[in-house]
Amino acid sequence: MPNNRHIQPGVHYLQGSQACVEGAIIAGCRVYGGYPITPASEVMEHAALRIPQIGGRFIQMEDEIASACILLGASWGGAKAMTATSSPGFSLMQETISYGIMSETPLVIVDVQRPGPGQGYITTSQEDVMQARWGHHGEGSIIALAPASVQEMFEFTIEAFNLSEKWRTPVLLMAEETVAHMRERLIVPPLEEIRIVNRKKPQDLGIAPENYLPWGHDMVAPMANWGEGYNVNLIGLVHLEDGNVTKYDLQMHDACVKRFYHKIEDNVDTISQIETAHFEKCKHLVVCYGSVSRTAIEAVTEARKEHNLEIGYLRLKTLWPFPEKKLRSLIKKVDTIFVPEMNLGMMKHPITEALRDRCRKIISIPSLGSLHTPEYILSVIHEELK
Amino acid sequence: MKKHPMLKYLKEEGPMGDRLPMILCPGCGSGQVLNAAFHAIDKIIEEDGIAKENFVFITGVGCSARLTSHYLNFDSGWTIHGRTLPIATGALLANPELRIIVITGDGDTGAIGGNHFIHACRRNIDLTILCINNGLYGMTGGQVAPTTGIGLKTSTTPYGNTEESFDLSKMAETAGATYVARWTTAHPRQTVRAIMKGVRKKGTAFIEIMSQCPVHWKETPVDMLKALKKNSVRLKGDEAVPNGKIPIGEFCNIEKPEWIESYQKVIDQFN
Repeated sequence: MPNNRHIQPGVHYLQGSQACVEGAIIAGCRVYGGYPITPASEVMEHAALRIPQIGGRFIQMEDEIASACILLGASWGGAKAMTATSSPGFSLMQETISYGIMSETPLVIVDVQRPGPGQGYITTSQEDVMQARWGHHGEGSIIALAPASVQEMFEFTIEAFNLSEKWRTPVLLMAEETVAHMRERLIVPPLEEIRIVNRKKPQDLGIAPENYLPWGHDMVAPMANWGEGYNVNLIGLVHLEDGNVTKYDLQMHDACVKRFYHKIEDNVDTISQIETAHFEKCKHLVVCYGSVSRTAIEAVTEARKEHNLEIGYLRLKTLWPFPEKKLRSLIKKVDTIFVPEMNLGMMKHPITEALRDRCRKIISIPSLGSLHTPEYILSVIHEELK
Repeated sequence: MKKHPMLKYLKEEGPMGDRLPMILCPGCGSGQVLNAAFHAIDKIIEEDGIAKENFVFITGVGCSARLTSHYLNFDSGWTIHGRTLPIATGALLANPELRIIVITGDGDTGAIGGNHFIHACRRNIDLTILCINNGLYGMTGGQVAPTTGIGLKTSTTPYGNTEESFDLSKMAETAGATYVARWTTAHPRQTVRAIMKGVRKKGTAFIEIMSQCPVHWKETPVDMLKALKKNSVRLKGDEAVPNGKIPIGEFCNIEKPEWIESYQKVIDQFN
């Protein structure tokens, strides 16, 4: 519960990485396991400083695999837990994310993206947005958020914990070096105004240990932690709702995987958030996410004001699950859609899938290793619409 | 018929039906290890007054992992191959009241989880690791392991193993574990006593149990148990290991700061 060791309400000047940790603490994060990597180390260093101050435990592990596994164990041990890494480390965490999806384990992973492939470079990137969705082996959905400011590094981290607890699933905060190293104003609201979600417990629902189904009762199952007398057999194999694996057949397999797939995908409209500007009756549209949205809105404003272009702006605050239906309900007919991304056109694919019949053309505005300038975005728009 | 006294620690059935029998092959040593672990924990629950719900069994992947599966009447995690120790560490970070028993195999510990193994021992976090060493990969079909003796034929060393093997107990001791012992499935009483000592040790305890895999070594369980008994030797002092013998006994039982206790001092500065 909030105490004087939480960040105090009011105006602060912080780095995105620090705001992320402060948000995590407010969300109830009490275990942090990590492994250093540029440009994500600042998150870890701030966690090392702050987590013990609020009675939590911080540990530096031997690698990113171990760091992700800390979250898995901590979550079943009853704590909210987080790690932060950057792209190569994110690759190493995929197996644990997959296990987290199957076992329906709430945990939060921050990926401060750097360019790749390989060691790539240590600058900024959005090259892991597809790895976020498809990097883990097997079926199963994922929730991934894309913060665009220090304020959102704070708010979206809290939201990531809330979503992971509510939906009992791993949640990814897809930050970039830009937003993690950015320093700007953070306004912390009064703590009682911040919504905190905690996992549903069988004890609160009057479910006795002998009747408890760790993967049943509801679309999102209540979660008993280890040490509470519920004799939970955590399992990564396809299973019946009570965790039984002896009765394998295709129907059981189908039901097991589809339940946790659909709990996310069927609730995309609740989970996924978008933001729009200059949107009504716009002829063209810029669709963006993360810190690129900061220069994209500049470009859109400039194009409207100086060049009389009827161009709108739409930002995906949530990357996954992808809000296809929401986009289709909002966008009936536009001419050209521009998608600026710090990769060679990754989110352009689901955007195209959603809107290919609602526009004339979809243009990727790629950038590798650096944030788009408004002028760059504007120049592509002009070139295309001249 | 009188039930086995340790059957109380297994779920014969759950809300969705039968959970037994176990999938382990006839003559496998893993069940003996689970039996020993149950006897040890049963005594600790009785003698030390530790609540049963505080015990958590964590396994990875492989034959050893199937000891938790879905039939343990304890909290358990049948987790990721090689990752038992960081997962157990995470659980302890969340709740240091938990008494975690990690059951692992020689592949899980010595190969895919080797890095986590040495670092868990180095940290000396309060875990009890039971490593069932059958000298090969059983679950996947009898492939060579980091513990397979030189020259031995397995399904991936059809011309004989050309690599040196690990001594996992020595590794644990060198890496910093505070209790290290090795027994075999032919030493059930000693194994129970070692597990009790391991659970009571504040720190990382590593207990290696040499075990038989009759299916992949293609020998009868009885012959393999006899061989384990005959080939194991308790050494005195610096005595050299006789050729072909397996040293058994308690190798290390020392006191060192434990991670959770050391970190608590960091937390306590702020209270």
